[in-house]
Amino acid sequence: MPDVQALVNDFVLKLKRRKIEGSHASARHTAELLRSVISQQRMPHTNQAGALIDAVKAVGEQLIAANPVELAVGNIVRRVLHIIREEDLSSTATAIEGLGLSAGSDDDDEGQHVDHPALSAAALAAAARSTLRAPSLQTLLEDIPRSAVTPQPPSSGGDSEGKSKSDKNLRSRKLKHDVIEAINELIQDIDTCHEQVSEQAVEHIHQNEVILTFGRSRTVKEFLCAAKEKNRSFRVFVAEGAPRYQGHVLAKELVGKGIQTTVITDSAVFAMISRVNMVIVGAHAIMANGGVIAPVGINMVALAAQRHAVPFVVVAGSHKLCPLYPHNPEVLLNDLKSPSDLLDFGEFSDCMDFGSHGGSPLLHVVNPAFDYVPPKLVSLFITDTGGHNPSYVYRLIADYYSADDLVVKRRSTS
Amino acid sequence: MWLRSASFVLDKRLQQQEPSSFFHDPRDSAQPPPPSPSVDPMDQNPDPNPNHGISAYYQTRAEHHAVVSSDWLAQAQAAIGRGAAPPSGCWPSAAASSAVAARTGSVGGGGGKPFSVIDEFNYWRKKPDLAEAVAAIMALAAVIRSSEATTMMELEIELKKASDTLKSWDTTSISLSAGCDLFMRYVTRTSALEYEDFDAAKLRLIERGEKFGEISLKARRTIAMLGQDFIFDSCTILVHGFSRVVFEVLKLAASNRKLFRVLCTEGRPDRTGLRFSNELAALGVPVKLLIDSAVAYSMDEVDMVFVGADGVVESGGIINMMGTYQIALVAHSMNKPVYVAAESYKFARLYPLDQKDLAPALRPIDFGVPIPSGVEVETSARDYTPPQYLTLLFTDLGVLTPSVVSDELIQLYL
Repeated sequence: MPDVQALVNDFVLKLKRRKIEGSHASARHTAELLRSVISQQRMPHTNQAGALIDAVKAVGEQLIAANPVELAVGNIVRRVLHIIREEDLSSTATAIEGLGLSAGSDDDDEGQHVDHPALSAAALAAAARSTLRAPSLQTLLEDIPRSAVTPQPPSSGGDSEGKSKSDKNLRSRKLKHDVIEAINELIQDIDTCHEQVSEQAVEHIHQNEVILTFGRSRTVKEFLCAAKEKNRSFRVFVAEGAPRYQGHVLAKELVGKGIQTTVITDSAVFAMISRVNMVIVGAHAIMANGGVIAPVGINMVALAAQRHAVPFVVVAGSHKLCPLYPHNPEVLLNDLKSPSDLLDFGEFSDCMDFGSHGGSPLLHVVNPAFDYVPPKLVSLFITDTGGHNPSYVYRLIADYYSADDLVVKRRSTS
Repeated sequence: MWLRSASFVLDKRLQQQEPSSFFHDPRDSAQPPPPSPSVDPMDQNPDPNPNHGISAYYQTRAEHHAVVSSDWLAQAQAAIGRGAAPPSGCWPSAAASSAVAARTGSVGGGGGKPFSVIDEFNYWRKKPDLAEAVAAIMALAAVIRSSEATTMMELEIELKKASDTLKSWDTTSISLSAGCDLFMRYVTRTSALEYEDFDAAKLRLIERGEKFGEISLKARRTIAMLGQDFIFDSCTILVHGFSRVVFEVLKLAASNRKLFRVLCTEGRPDRTGLRFSNELAALGVPVKLLIDSAVAYSMDEVDMVFVGADGVVESGGIINMMGTYQIALVAHSMNKPVYVAAESYKFARLYPLDQKDLAPALRPIDFGVPIPSGVEVETSARDYTPPQYLTLLFTDLGVLTPSVVSDELIQLYL
């Protein structure tokens, strides 16, 4: 697998040097990389899913460590792991039903022992499915039937061995195939997330509304343009989003589409918010408690919106949904960027000189990239699956991720 | 001082007779010890009449966690007298005599049967590390083990009877009834599976019941691990009440060499703060004791609040020692996160709408001086904290926001 390893190293380097900008690009690249890893992976005879999971975890660990702040990378790694587990489960379930109940105990990656004759396949599959879901009250005491029940007589086990081996090969190829297909779907979802979000624009933007946005988010841009195409007439206030001033770029694009736009400074947000019907912003990541990691300055906008009872809507693709809880997000999930964005080195070189004042200059410049917006300030999340409350985010996470994958670490024993 | 006087013991007896003056020679006022095998209506149900001033639940916790000194023991012993059995018969002083008392004093669980579910329950309850709900589950598992039923239906009926007996032992304990309900729920769900063999089913139930005991201890460890990330270096944590789960969290953090400081509320009238600070000081964690009224004063320097829970209700709120609501209100108004550590078997199907909606659990308070006769005392031992003041719940099902709790309960009970 030197081929794949080279790809991985290349990607890791790009992430470390922050050459890949934006969660969309990162997510897409990660998914494609993992697809290559899986297609190149040699499948052992037993426990294919476990082998795949290990391979993905090994690569995923490196990717996440390269840029821990780019949460989309970790999200996609966990999505792929969840896909592998799901595909394995569904293929096992159908295999069991196909084989009758004589399959041997090869499927011990989920810890199933199909050795109780009275259990119908449906019940077993149901029980197995419940182990895949996040642990809940109902599964707390649920245990797949173990040795308390009489084991299969060995003779029938020998027969099933031969049968199951050929089935294994079939199943292993099928598993890989299914997983790769699912990853292709995932990549497609990532690509089309903007269209899916924009489809909902008409429901939320009404006639003669005034909308405030901050900086430039591609999702927001497409959202607003979609509403414009449906002939809604509305005005947009764009806060310029220092220090990158991407708001200027967005303003130009919106005017190109024929939307009436007003550019304001970040400091003017509080002054203008009372004239605004709704705030729509993009996000860098959505955390499991409904909190949002967003470009710096959006926390201020959220507070202003709350103060004036203006709905604060966050639009984001579902690849930005992260299953982690933010403890200490201001520190751990923030990137400090170059001070040159703020101050020109030429003018301030003497203040920031490390040579004078005994090695520590009197002037410091801090340029954080992200802000954390707590869930209580957010009114609505619009993702490609629809509009959701911040308190509903845990449900989406349970759909997309498995509980075992929260910490992506390759375990030495499988 | 309350703990050093036998007045606590006296209170119980006095309330059985009629209110009389506080300090009373125990030997004079002691009732003749209730004749054991013959029917004393109080002993049939080990928790005597509902007018009884003390919730047995808090009595247990006092036994486990109160600061017990040797002359207190002597006094308590003298107050009990030899061979007399207080209805819920367990004093830490005399394990032997209380064992005798338990056996003779409790006739519950179907008169005449050699096996008594209350016995079993008391046996398990005495282990200080085991939670009450878990003790109840173990008792119910023992009921199954010793049951002579031949069909699932019979077994269910027996279990229901045992569960009702346990619940009536202390009508005020939420985790007890939640634990019983959980177990009953599993019994009814198991019978839906097509087990042809009744003995196999019975074995399974016993297995589960016994597994639950391990789950309790494991639950605490899981919760401790989940809570680790939220404790960062040089943070200040405010704790209230002596929760074994919270203690486990802090213990693990200390052993991971995290540097943090704990502020402990005094926790009148149980003096839980003293006990907690003892334990924490033994771990080498810097502790500061506050009187309950000093919480708002110190809330400025606090980074997070950690509490346990007696029960988690359907709305996502918690029921915990008196004072928790107050602390949560203060923390919320100052934007400090409130974290709750609770095992999942504490989820109860209750929906209190205000403070008085709870079943009252009363605890006598010793003010150190006799109270004039016309003055009432608010003796309730616990309060309800609504979910909007809680930030996150750490459970063995994972880290949850309060809105997830009702989802979990619906999934289980539907």
